[in-house]
Amino acid sequence: MGVINGRGLWTLYVKEVRRFMNVFSQTLLAPMVTTLLFLAVFALALGGGGRQVGGVDYILFLGPGLIMMSMVQNAFANTSSSILIAKVQGNIVDLLMPPLSPAELVMGVAGGGVTRGLMVGLVVALGMSIFVPLSIHNPGFIIWHAVNASLMLALLGLIGGIWAEKFDHIAAVTNFIITPFSFLSGTFYSIERLPENWRFIADFNPFFYMIDGFRYGFIGHADSSLTVGFYLVLVVNIVLGFTAHRMIATGYRLKA
Amino acid sequence: MSAGAASKKIKGRAARRYGAVNWRGLWVLYSRKAVLRFLRYGLESIAGPVASSCIFVLVFVLALQGGTAMSPDLSLAQFVVPGIVMFTLTQVAFDSAAVMIIHDKQDGVIQDVLMAPLTPLEITLGYSLGAATNGLMTGGLLILIFAVFVDLPLQSGIVAAGFAFGGTLLFSMVGMIVGIWAQRWDHFSAAETFLVMPLGLLSGTFFSLERVPEGYGWLLLGNPMFHAINGFRAALTGHSDAPLWLGAGVIAGLTLLLALITWRLFAIGYRIKS
Repeated sequence: MGVINGRGLWTLYVKEVRRFMNVFSQTLLAPMVTTLLFLAVFALALGGGGRQVGGVDYILFLGPGLIMMSMVQNAFANTSSSILIAKVQGNIVDLLMPPLSPAELVMGVAGGGVTRGLMVGLVVALGMSIFVPLSIHNPGFIIWHAVNASLMLALLGLIGGIWAEKFDHIAAVTNFIITPFSFLSGTFYSIERLPENWRFIADFNPFFYMIDGFRYGFIGHADSSLTVGFYLVLVVNIVLGFTAHRMIATGYRLKA
Repeated sequence: MSAGAASKKIKGRAARRYGAVNWRGLWVLYSRKAVLRFLRYGLESIAGPVASSCIFVLVFVLALQGGTAMSPDLSLAQFVVPGIVMFTLTQVAFDSAAVMIIHDKQDGVIQDVLMAPLTPLEITLGYSLGAATNGLMTGGLLILIFAVFVDLPLQSGIVAAGFAFGGTLLFSMVGMIVGIWAQRWDHFSAAETFLVMPLGLLSGTFFSLERVPEGYGWLLLGNPMFHAINGFRAALTGHSDAPLWLGAGVIAGLTLLLALITWRLFAIGYRIKS
């Protein structure tokens, strides 16, 4: 092996991808159905009044946000469930015993989560494009934010999975952290709608910057500073990656 | 020891007799197996749905405020709150019933229920009433929370309770049938994604009947969730999109039909007894 155990890393990555591809109806199709339902609900609730948000039809504003939401939720679900199930079943040793360094473990597992996030995003976008005329303004922003958002949530899922000892714990993280952050992120409304003293909900929510930047790639309108968003996701990912690496290196809740 | 004392002792341990219904057995199944189990996971089972409902309401009001109102007589929050409470209620009832049965099947403890002196009808009632209770507890908590923020001019407590009970019982039955049918957790998630979520989301929780494009109204009117929500909303706010008697009839009829199916499934032991 050289500096990196390439074959080991690849094997781990492929295992993570096969894990969700085995049940693709649950991991790829189900998110698409749910997202399209949300789209239908909001479109109907608005009554097609030709409403404009951020200079475009509401449905065009909503579409990218929903794609991003499904990506982040699935990236999180993939890594958190992978680690937690391995811990509960005891086969986590099969991950810790092989000649894989903590960095390789983080890359392999997070890579699986990112792949799931991106694939879900693609499937959802394809399904959505039947109903919504999605146009692309700047593919660079779309890719940058899609990859970074999936990576952020994959890393959060990894950290959550290591921390959690029971399925209740991870359900609690999903219910009280991931869902609120993703719903209160400006997916469904422009932050101009937030009362002045509630703006902080968006300003301190990394999900807001991800969705905003991602949406900019489609519609060419952003609520926040694109530069801040661009660097923020990068910095958050470096911090999270480092944290996950330290957790695995010290064996926190992994090695007895 | 005298013969009398011995026979008395045996008499004291004689087999329990039941009337037409094994009330104690039914109560144990209902309380211990269904309700207490749910409460043991209090944080996950109640707080989770409650938190997501609150977020739903917040997001909806933020996203849609300033737009055209759903109905002239109700504010957006007044319209959405009864819908979301009902939506959560039925989801919890469905989840609770299906998860209970799948767990019991996978752990093999369903045998304990089948072996106990309980008729298939009692088993159906015990599980489904338990799941319905779990849904109603969650819904009750939600109503208490929302009542603080949203003005709900209660029209009829009995009608509200009736629709809430009907809706939860109906979805408990759906959950039980799914639970009996499902052999893996995938089957359960498939039923949730492709049956329960669409019924719940395309139900008039979030939009009124008038918003549905011409020609698609029947989709809503044929959805029992729509009737449960509509009846519940009518009782809480006085706004109704469809006749309540029709709603009550649809829900009662479907619940009875599904109860009958569940009862038969338990009686023949479909996917339970090999």
